[in-house]
Amino acid sequence: CTGMSRVYVMADKSTLLKVILLGDGGVGKSSLMNRYVSNKFDTHLFHTIGVEFLNKELEVDGRRVTLQIWDTAGQERFRSLRTPFYRGSDCCLLTFSVDDSQSFLNLNLWRKEFVYYADVKEPESFPFVILGNKIDVSGRQVAKEEAQRWCCENGGHPYFETSAKDATNIVEAFEEVARRVIASDDKQEPLLSTHTVELRRKSRSDPSCC
Amino acid sequence: MKINVLHTGVVFFCESAVVLADSINVFFLYDCSKVQEECDLTRAGICYFYPEDTPLEHQELLCGQLAGVSRCVSELSCSPVHLLRLRKSKYAVRMRDTFLWVLSCVSEVPDISVCEFLDHLIGLFCFYNGPVQQSYQLHSQGELALHWARYISHLQGGSTELHHIFSCLETIRSTRIDPLLLLKSALILQACQRCPLVLAGCLLYQGRVLSTQMCPELTRKVMVNETETYSQEDRLQAHGVCWSGATPPSNTVTTPVFLTSSEVNTLRCHPVDNSCRFHCSSQPPDQPKKTPLLSRTLSDIANTDLDPAELEHALCPPAHYQTHSSPHSSLSDEESFSLCPSTASTPLHLTVTSQSEGSPSESHDHILPNGTLLYKAIESSMFEGGSPVRSEGERNTAEVVAVSAISNGLESGQDSPPQHDGEGEGTKEMEVRGGVKEEMREGGRSGDCRSPSGGTLDCLLLYQHRVGSLVLAVLVEPHFNTDASAKEDVYFSCLASLNGLEAHLRTTSSQPPPAQGPYIYTHYDCVQNTLTTNVSEHSSSSQDSFVKATALLHSDFSLKDTLQEAIVRNASCAVYATRTKAQETYFLQQGTSARNSGIPNVQDTAFSLPGKARQRLLKHGVNLL
Repeated sequence: CTGMSRVYVMADKSTLLKVILLGDGGVGKSSLMNRYVSNKFDTHLFHTIGVEFLNKELEVDGRRVTLQIWDTAGQERFRSLRTPFYRGSDCCLLTFSVDDSQSFLNLNLWRKEFVYYADVKEPESFPFVILGNKIDVSGRQVAKEEAQRWCCENGGHPYFETSAKDATNIVEAFEEVARRVIASDDKQEPLLSTHTVELRRKSRSDPSCC
Repeated sequence: MKINVLHTGVVFFCESAVVLADSINVFFLYDCSKVQEECDLTRAGICYFYPEDTPLEHQELLCGQLAGVSRCVSELSCSPVHLLRLRKSKYAVRMRDTFLWVLSCVSEVPDISVCEFLDHLIGLFCFYNGPVQQSYQLHSQGELALHWARYISHLQGGSTELHHIFSCLETIRSTRIDPLLLLKSALILQACQRCPLVLAGCLLYQGRVLSTQMCPELTRKVMVNETETYSQEDRLQAHGVCWSGATPPSNTVTTPVFLTSSEVNTLRCHPVDNSCRFHCSSQPPDQPKKTPLLSRTLSDIANTDLDPAELEHALCPPAHYQTHSSPHSSLSDEESFSLCPSTASTPLHLTVTSQSEGSPSESHDHILPNGTLLYKAIESSMFEGGSPVRSEGERNTAEVVAVSAISNGLESGQDSPPQHDGEGEGTKEMEVRGGVKEEMREGGRSGDCRSPSGGTLDCLLLYQHRVGSLVLAVLVEPHFNTDASAKEDVYFSCLASLNGLEAHLRTTSSQPPPAQGPYIYTHYDCVQNTLTTNVSEHSSSSQDSFVKATALLHSDFSLKDTLQEAIVRNASCAVYATRTKAQETYFLQQGTSARNSGIPNVQDTAFSLPGKARQRLLKHGVNLL
């Protein structure tokens, strides 16, 4: 049951949500994470090797949650290191760079890889969020409409255009991620944990965000 | 029992394995300045005595006798005493100023291991507490006793018997983890160095070295603190700790540590790519820069007893070995990947690279016209005996003086028959090793033990960041603690990577170890001070024999400079050993039919061992060809 992964409850009663950033190497996954969590941008980042993660606490619609953001290596050679960590993800952020059309075309492959290794039972209802990064860069190759169309055709996923460098749309994107997870949690079957049942009841009263 | 040493070096040995960890009988620190007059009580000079529950009369007896004997022998021979060997035990001795340190082990323990053990113990104390004399002025004996006890228990516990024999670093078993993770750890350390206040660091996992930028000696010292905290906190699974920004992270800690000025100079000389430094970190104007040597004044040089070699080395810093952080991060995949195999092959790659590029070990030792021998601090050999890194020049100056002496009352309850052990006949034998060279050596090299009078140790900070069982330990400039932005930079530059690395290692370490082949081997790298072995944690009779034989052979290698290959054996097994200046390798073939008549014979299976070792060990990356 994928919902069980969310039943890690931290001591302070905030729910831990595991979200994972996937996408080609060099599209800015690490920069997105760093910008969101520590509000820093580093031009000298090396390739991520394997996986890395940071936690960030936030409050969405009156609910305290902790996003555990997993950043992954985009290069093919690191595949065996990253794939074991897909399991248990509550949301997947498929990332591409708007100045690299190939990274956009590869979104399908990334989605497939995630669904396979995370062992997602119902891929149609799994919360994906699509991020088009590097909008600060000139020489754009992927039009906004093109990306929105892809999101629509592939399950109606939300799409954000971001810039980790300029901190554009980062907070909005991750907050949407948290809302998506909470919302999809509501659709899950009742869980055994009483704590989780309580969350369900609470979130039902929240206005739907999508 | 050794009965014969042939020219080819076939030696027979007895079965009883000795566990060094259990064989520390006595350790004490004695201040001779407190006992000058006839009326002064010996107990006034005892700063620390282990085991602490020893009756005071016994403590006084031993301290008094050994202090007297050591002084007498060193005055007679005009050289400090290093090792007093009695029938059943031996005493490693260090004398600095008015202080006397003595560590005793049973006699089966290799001389070199006892001496290294003592040197390391003293080095640890000075590293965490500063000069001995100053420490005892500032703190009570009771407080410092806790520290001594802690270091002793650290040295006794944890590592395997083999690690005790070689006094080497415990490294992670690199065969069990993905080489890419070793690259990842090296990159984490380099990322920290982007802060100008960070000198060098190491990564430790479950008390073992994963990657280090420091020389083996410093790494070993840093590990004590870590092992301590690991054993206390391993129940806390604190990975992925939140830091919302304002509050300082609770999983980091800084500790003041003391290094010799030459050690500090070496650290500050480390090549670091400045082009991608953090911009916000400030450096006080009086602080030596990371590319420091051009800005250093003459008076600076005079203050720090740099030897000519060091100076030369310093003025021509080694080529950058930093690989990742080129200012143009558009490094292609192929380029970056090509870094992996070499880095991956050893967890300590960076140390080796920096040493071999910048300062080959031969160039460390310089004999000046007046015969003084100078050393660089980075060198890993300990004071006495056996480390093949030593230069020939030093060996020639080494003197071994054997003095017979009567040791009344030093050993209680000894009534076993005399032992013949190869080089020392006679029951009560006292060996004094070392000599003038020791004092010379201390002048130039790290000298963990000199500096009891203070003044020569510089204070740095040890910054530690823990994520679960993974610890990042870096040596930083003293004002790191007051530089909030530097702290934040270092913390955030590695937090995510540490989290990830810990997650990777956690999943890796749960895998079972690979099956041991039909042979046992141990490969000791003298430069990096590390060990590669397939000896498992579970004890077996052939393994015990192997360890015992290894101890014997390592001891022989340390005593006999020209010995390169040897085979030792008993009725059931034979162990082959070979060494070069840089490494020692030990090999035991299991399951061979015993055709050991005891008399040298070409049919003897023992003589096929060298060939087997060459063939078998190739796949472990050990090239004996």
